[in-house]
Amino acid sequence: MNELKQTCKDVLTEKKARLIIGYSEDKNKRVKPFIARTPEDAEKFVFNHHAVNNLAVYISRFKNNFEGKIGIVVKGCDLKAVTALIQESQVKRDDLYIIGVNCSGVVREIDKEFSKDNSQIKCKYCQTKTPAYFDAIAEESKEFELTVDDQQELMTKIEKMSAEEKLDFWNEQFEKCIKCYACRQVCPMCYCEQCIAEKSEPQWIDSSATARGSFAWNTIRAFHMAGRCIGCHECERACPMDIPLTLLTRKMGMVASSEFGYRHGMSIDEPTLIGSYSTSDKEDFIK
Amino acid sequence: MEELIISTENFKKIVQELLGKEFRVIGIPEGENKYQEITDGSKLSLHPEAAPTSSSFKEYFFPKSEPIFFYKQNHSSVDLFDPIEDKKGIVVIGAKPCDASALPIISKVFNWDYKDDLFNKRYDSSLIIGMSCNYKDDYCFCVSTHGSPENTKGSDVFLTSLENNYFSAAAITPKGESFINDYVKYFEMDEKKHKVIERKEEIPEHFNYEKVKTWLDNNFENKFWDTAGEMCLGCAQCAFVCPTCHCFDIVDEQCSSCEGRRAKNWDACQFSLFTKHASGHNPRDNQEKRYRQRISHKFKYYNDKFGEILCTGCGRCARGCPVSLDILQVVEDINALAEKS
Repeated sequence: MNELKQTCKDVLTEKKARLIIGYSEDKNKRVKPFIARTPEDAEKFVFNHHAVNNLAVYISRFKNNFEGKIGIVVKGCDLKAVTALIQESQVKRDDLYIIGVNCSGVVREIDKEFSKDNSQIKCKYCQTKTPAYFDAIAEESKEFELTVDDQQELMTKIEKMSAEEKLDFWNEQFEKCIKCYACRQVCPMCYCEQCIAEKSEPQWIDSSATARGSFAWNTIRAFHMAGRCIGCHECERACPMDIPLTLLTRKMGMVASSEFGYRHGMSIDEPTLIGSYSTSDKEDFIK
Repeated sequence: MEELIISTENFKKIVQELLGKEFRVIGIPEGENKYQEITDGSKLSLHPEAAPTSSSFKEYFFPKSEPIFFYKQNHSSVDLFDPIEDKKGIVVIGAKPCDASALPIISKVFNWDYKDDLFNKRYDSSLIIGMSCNYKDDYCFCVSTHGSPENTKGSDVFLTSLENNYFSAAAITPKGESFINDYVKYFEMDEKKHKVIERKEEIPEHFNYEKVKTWLDNNFENKFWDTAGEMCLGCAQCAFVCPTCHCFDIVDEQCSSCEGRRAKNWDACQFSLFTKHASGHNPRDNQEKRYRQRISHKFKYYNDKFGEILCTGCGRCARGCPVSLDILQVVEDINALAEKS
């Protein structure tokens, strides 16, 4: 921990970044996103099992606000969002100062301790405990053991459903939606200045949180994530109605990987799946 | 009326009778953490020590989306149709004081200049059975917003938990009194003198509301606002789970080429579109301004206009916030600034 604070202090003292987006702890020991602008602020930085937020979502918020680099504390999984934003030309690598943290898993229920049962789904299949690249690195890497990836089991179950059963399943889930757009707002890849949900000429999606309006919103958001979701599971974590949104986004990521050998957010130089064309791309979905 | 008591089992029987009379009964079924329509009286749970549900029950009075009217285009004319009215009265059972007390608060805005029939029809035909609360966590602050775990505001009947699964039942309004009279066979005199289940921990007063209000009156422009809401991502989780947030949008939606509906939908001040004008100008053009609006509406403007705090201290907005932005801490910070000034 001191290592993280010291690293961040140095970055701000030496003006390597204008500010650093990281995590602090409040008086109730809740870990939350926090911005340090001075070396003194950096004293407040923490990193532990409760640092769940993917802070990359703040890059789009701050990128045009000032001269100088944005410092950001990232876990291995969150770095994929940073990489994806660079790949999608939303930010330049040179405009970021990346402070990587080795992660030993983060909690699902924030008011409980981290345990093999209380972890985010993404931790159960995590392959990036150490960020792939960084300007500085802090925290020790620790091994941890988690319960089985039960989302995978649920995905397999849904795959076996008939089209009607799948529709029933998703209708039931999406009817819970209250259109608070927490899924969109926490998503680092949802950076559109005007979301399709807010376009009214023409109105592509009913703004009402009715069965029709909610189904349209959630499926269109899922389509827009095809081959773009980096799997931070923030949308599902933020959803107050407990809609299992990442069943869709994760599944599409798996299809992108199996059909096109592509995983988003893995290399800043790699052309994106949606933004590139290869003559060897499969066309067997066109029937 | 003499103090009557009722057992949980007998309450379930009342629910069963209510269902037979075509009431919509809203409560928290056993094993759930959500207010929902109860369809089987035996499933009702009454747990004063349970944590607040993740959403309030406002959706039963002010739905997330409801039609105001339907329209049908007929060549050159347009026919309008009223939505089908749900004539069933709503009975909410086991409402926490921080939920029940929200209804009379929002009723004021729905009856200010325009009388909102959609809300009023439901509210006027409702019966709210509140229940004392024995829960406390770091997010609870009902005492600081002039409430308490025993606050009967908004309840027609108020239950206080006694030992051995009994509740004492007090009629708060004439409506509540006639409810108890109607079902008096299920109530009994407290001959055994059951003890009240005491709270394990009191809920402290976290801030002095009057001081906070005075600070807000004088600090629309203050550097505090530059950082108070800067981590807010601008979703509406807080507003939509809140028992007192009542903003709505009105939209026309086409269902087919010549039919559609005008709908009243939940809206929220943290959305960037909320105040955006047709010209493109947005008077609240950043999240910091929008967050100032949220706090000011709750703790200043609503009081200025309606004499009520637009917050019952339930803590839901903070429990569910994706970035753990805690309204209590923000208001505590204001309280600290107020004490300094």
